[in-house]
Amino acid sequence: MRSFHPSYILEVLIQLLPFLWVTVAMVIGTVFFGGAVGILLAAAKVRKGRITRLLANIYIYITRCIPSVIMLFIVYYGLPELLLGFGIDINHVGKGFFVITTFSILFAANMAEVFRSAYEAVDKGQKEAAASIGMTSWQTFYRILLPQCTVVALPNFANALVNLMKEGSLAYTIGLIDIMGKGQLLIGMNHGSYALETYLALTILYWVLTFVVEKSFGVLEKHLSKGKKALSQA
Amino acid sequence: MELNTKFMIETFFDALAGIPVTLKLTLITLLVSAPIAFFMALGKIEKRKIAGKLISGYVSFIRGTPVVLQILFLYSLLPTLLNYLVKDVLGLSFNVFQLDTILYAYIVFVLNTTAVLSEVFRSALLTVGHGQMETALTIGMTKRQAYIRIIIPQAVVSALPNICNATIGLLKSTSLAFMMSVQDVTAIAKVKAAYGYNYIEAYLDICFVYIVLCSAIQLVFKLIERYACAYKKSSRTKGGALYARNKEYI
Repeated sequence: MRSFHPSYILEVLIQLLPFLWVTVAMVIGTVFFGGAVGILLAAAKVRKGRITRLLANIYIYITRCIPSVIMLFIVYYGLPELLLGFGIDINHVGKGFFVITTFSILFAANMAEVFRSAYEAVDKGQKEAAASIGMTSWQTFYRILLPQCTVVALPNFANALVNLMKEGSLAYTIGLIDIMGKGQLLIGMNHGSYALETYLALTILYWVLTFVVEKSFGVLEKHLSKGKKALSQA
Repeated sequence: MELNTKFMIETFFDALAGIPVTLKLTLITLLVSAPIAFFMALGKIEKRKIAGKLISGYVSFIRGTPVVLQILFLYSLLPTLLNYLVKDVLGLSFNVFQLDTILYAYIVFVLNTTAVLSEVFRSALLTVGHGQMETALTIGMTKRQAYIRIIIPQAVVSALPNICNATIGLLKSTSLAFMMSVQDVTAIAKVKAAYGYNYIEAYLDICFVYIVLCSAIQLVFKLIERYACAYKKSSRTKGGALYARNKEYI
């Protein structure tokens, strides 16, 4: 057995760090687009329209059942062909586009459930009280419901974000060079040796990322739930 | 875009042959990791200091790293490590590299699922009120009896939805077993696709198979839930009626 070189872990870490922004950009892009679709889905689920609710439910059910790696392949191989049928050629578009599309599709379903449960967690009395003092429904949502929903949604959102970051590592299977992809490239360049050290470096990196996300959301939650405490003390 | 429907239908039935492997991976992993996870949850709840710290570290590690990475990591580490152990430490002439690779898949998924389930069990055990345990102890039950007869039957009910989620997550992550050359649904369909570059059809097939499997799992859990919640029936219908009335009012 080849001997283990702990010092190589540091060396790999330094080489991986420049690619961290790809992972982060992927997550931010997905949160933006997936979140937007998620809000629409959640709205469709809590509103009265039967057909939109059914469609939202079907969407969430199906995306929940599909493994992300399969979804990634379907989008990567299928979307260009599908769009070519409409006369749009996206074969030259970067791989990041497909990765963000895939994870937005999956993330939207998660987000829809997070938003919906947060919306439903706020007591109906709040809405009625706001209506009784003459707020419009937009004002009610923006000033009363949204601040309370945010606090409820935060832990679930943090969870979904961490999951997204971890599943994002699958993007290397279609050739995106994020930290995972760079790690695989490094192993390839070393002809398969130092694989263990490289994987350890990646593990440390992901662990730290998760830790940072979880801690910062914990702080944010504490900060945002200040109003809640004051309310219960009164 | 034209789908090769003939290929798609053929591959669908070929991919069905991989279902036993996928289900085997899911079920055996669940069966192995559930007891371990339960004791890990207990260790955390009973405030065993060192054990609690170790378990927290383990759970945080597993939850903080992607499954793919765990697969790649263990798949590159385990065979050599096992080989070293068998050849140099134990001195046997047994060839580790002939082992079925599904073994490594089991190890990865068990490590993963144990962490997930231990959190599920812990939160479920915490939902059972403190008073239940104290009452059981005052009527002279041992702690073990209290857990088996009082706490667990109640905790199971609140754990079921999360166990269902964990099972579905596990089922989905077994699709990554193709990286360890395990012949599951994904691997079979991928190989079939490689002959004629019919990737999109093959992946759609895999999708269908997973949707069917997930639906089946959700159905099974619904049935189990109905059975496990039997003792709650009267209160549940009451709650349901109340909820319906509330909804009407709104």
